[in-house]
Amino acid sequence: MATLAQQDHPKYPPGDLAIWIFILAELAVFAIFFASYAFTRMNHVELFNQFQQQLDRDAALINTLALITGSYFVVRAVAAIREGASQICLRWLLAALGMGCLFLVVKSAEYSHHFSAGINLSTNSFYMFYLSLTFFHFMHVIMGMVILAAVALKARRGGYSIEDHTGVETGAAYWHMVDLVWLILFPLVYVMH
Amino acid sequence: MQYQSQMVAKPYFIAAIGLFILQILFGLIMGLQYVMGDFLFPEIPFNVARMVHTNALIIWLLMGFMGAAYYLVPEESETELFSPRLALITFWVFLGAAGLTVLGYLLVPYSTLAEITGNSILPTMGREFLEQPTITKIGIVIVALAFLFNIGMTVLKGRKTAITLVLLIGLLGLAVLFLFSFYNPDNLVLDKYFWWWVVHLWVEGGWELILGSILAFVLIKVTGVDREVIEKWLYIIIAMALISGIIGTGHHYFWIGVPEYWQWWGSIFSALEPLPFLMMTLFAFNMVKNRRRNHPNKAAVMWALGTTVLAFFGAGVWGFMHTLAPVNYYTHGSQLTAAHGHLAFFGAYAMIVLTIISYAMPLLRGRKAANSALSQKLEIWSFLLMSSSMVLITLLLTTAGVKQIMLQRMGEHPLPFMQVQEQLAIYFWLREGSGMLFLIGLIIYVASFFVGNSEPEAEVAA
Amino acid sequence: MNEVFTKSMARNIFYGGGVFFILLFLALTFDTVQQLPKLDNRAALTEQVAHGKALWEENNCIGCHTLLGEGAYFAPELGNVYQRYGNSTAFIKAFLMTRPKEGVPGRRSMPQFNFTAEEREAIAEFLKYSSQINTAGWPPTIQG
Repeated sequence: MATLAQQDHPKYPPGDLAIWIFILAELAVFAIFFASYAFTRMNHVELFNQFQQQLDRDAALINTLALITGSYFVVRAVAAIREGASQICLRWLLAALGMGCLFLVVKSAEYSHHFSAGINLSTNSFYMFYLSLTFFHFMHVIMGMVILAAVALKARRGGYSIEDHTGVETGAAYWHMVDLVWLILFPLVYVMH
Repeated sequence: MQYQSQMVAKPYFIAAIGLFILQILFGLIMGLQYVMGDFLFPEIPFNVARMVHTNALIIWLLMGFMGAAYYLVPEESETELFSPRLALITFWVFLGAAGLTVLGYLLVPYSTLAEITGNSILPTMGREFLEQPTITKIGIVIVALAFLFNIGMTVLKGRKTAITLVLLIGLLGLAVLFLFSFYNPDNLVLDKYFWWWVVHLWVEGGWELILGSILAFVLIKVTGVDREVIEKWLYIIIAMALISGIIGTGHHYFWIGVPEYWQWWGSIFSALEPLPFLMMTLFAFNMVKNRRRNHPNKAAVMWALGTTVLAFFGAGVWGFMHTLAPVNYYTHGSQLTAAHGHLAFFGAYAMIVLTIISYAMPLLRGRKAANSALSQKLEIWSFLLMSSSMVLITLLLTTAGVKQIMLQRMGEHPLPFMQVQEQLAIYFWLREGSGMLFLIGLIIYVASFFVGNSEPEAEVAA
Repeated sequence: MNEVFTKSMARNIFYGGGVFFILLFLALTFDTVQQLPKLDNRAALTEQVAHGKALWEENNCIGCHTLLGEGAYFAPELGNVYQRYGNSTAFIKAFLMTRPKEGVPGRRSMPQFNFTAEEREAIAEFLKYSSQINTAGWPPTIQG
């Protein structure tokens, strides 16, 4: 009966409450960071517009698609484990990890382009924010991948089931957060002017 | 008390209280020197009094942390301490080193102390809070290693709990970060940059873990709330402390010659630093509200709640007040900084040590759970008196700071430092008065150990 | 509503978050150390300045003064004392020399440290070097 009741009313929020506290804290940091960006941009619109042009928007678009696709794969992984299909869940998780890798490769290529041009955090306030925000996010992608990898390893051992798959939901929640932040970061830093 | 070896905590607690008294006496001397510039000059110049004041504080807090560890680790690990004898040896070495260092400060000029302790071989002296002779610093490292070994071995052979793990990580961080006190380059900017790795990462990193774990231990004991609940919140709170506090170091990097992006990084992350303190306050009050039993040691409960409240105001609110770079531009290194320092240290660290002493001392002295009602009454009075006079000191220094900033750092015709100080005399007098009140509170606190010992233990009201 | 809140997840967040932010802090530190040569006036860092810094430390000057805003708040800020008295070290040296041994009745006074002429020179040069560190425009006024 208990299991049935749980099926009827999936628990909310999905995943472990602890990760939600963490997600809220992370979102708070990003929110303040974005607000700081917007505030500084207001005072230096010219500068921000000028240097924004120098960013590789195609690369950022590829990365946006990579993260969205990754999120979709994670959704499929959660759906699979809710059916109890451990192996399918594992495959979707690996696919999401692949998308994460793609993101890291593309972003690294962008960075190496900047660094070879001698650009760093102290170049000007636009690059300060651009590099700070994207690097902070970059590290979150790595963190998200570490979490997904841990979940994948447990899934491979058959550690999740229909009844107990909080871990998959927890990892998924974190990955969606990383994705969500990029979906704000991309238009804010690369596109809007 | 369940394990015989917990007794080694007792000398640590007694020494902590002794050094606390020393700290306050020298604080009063400094307070007087603020308004009577020639007081005890040239015998005890201000910088010497200040060294004794701040170093005594650091040493008594460390003594308190060590005492707390020796008390709670055996009980948590459900085993006797690895080596009570080693704990006693390190106690005497530590106390001896501290005593000799203070005598050195007071008896010879600081430069002479530097000379006789061979500071030129490995110069580490003369930096704020790290004034101890190099040889004392080496002594501290040895004591810390012996202490960590002793505690670590105890944890390893017994039950591992979140509280002991967090405590151990905090203590390990404390010891490792202290090693940066040996790095003293000629380059002032590098010197300052890594000096903060000791100072900031202690108080907003390692020490917060220690604070959290001691608080969690006491809360489990006095509220009877399920360990699982308390420990998971402990993890969340200290996770928040690290998330905000590590990069929060950046709020010290605004004006010392490092890249300006620290103004953003430091402001953004330190804006979140009140959060863990707020969570800690809510957590402690919730646990007490949902308690499973009434503990007869009311004083300890009071200290535990008090420390979270004053830490939130002192570290959280007063810290936030001047943590954003555009504000800090004006407030940096003013009396406002002193206001924050006083309430933060008292609230977060002095009071957590007093909390564990309040909880453990009756047991170490042979009581079953708590002191007599009379003794507790005195202790609660001392709590109220010390806390309120410290709040008063903070408010007075804040007012003095705001006035100082307006006169010295704003406007068309900023006034010279000393001229401004003269205009602040009234606040400094009132601060000295509040300091006297604090001393009275401290005397009552000490008295509470000697009064009511022959009376029966306090019992829980039905 | 039913929720899961486990201790092991809380613990993972503590470890994960801690390691994450330590790594981030190290990355920023790495960049900072790379950038410092442009900001910290190291070209002026002579033997004499280093000697001055040693004297500054061995007499615990930070116990009363602030330097770049850090230290005690009992005596004036010295990070810009060089500029405050006419972009010159002459005042600093003269001040060090003329401190009365027994202090000034009723007032704060700096102790007489009995420095040699060479030591006074070194301290003054150290303060000059400190004053030329790029501090992002701090302090707000010449009074420190």
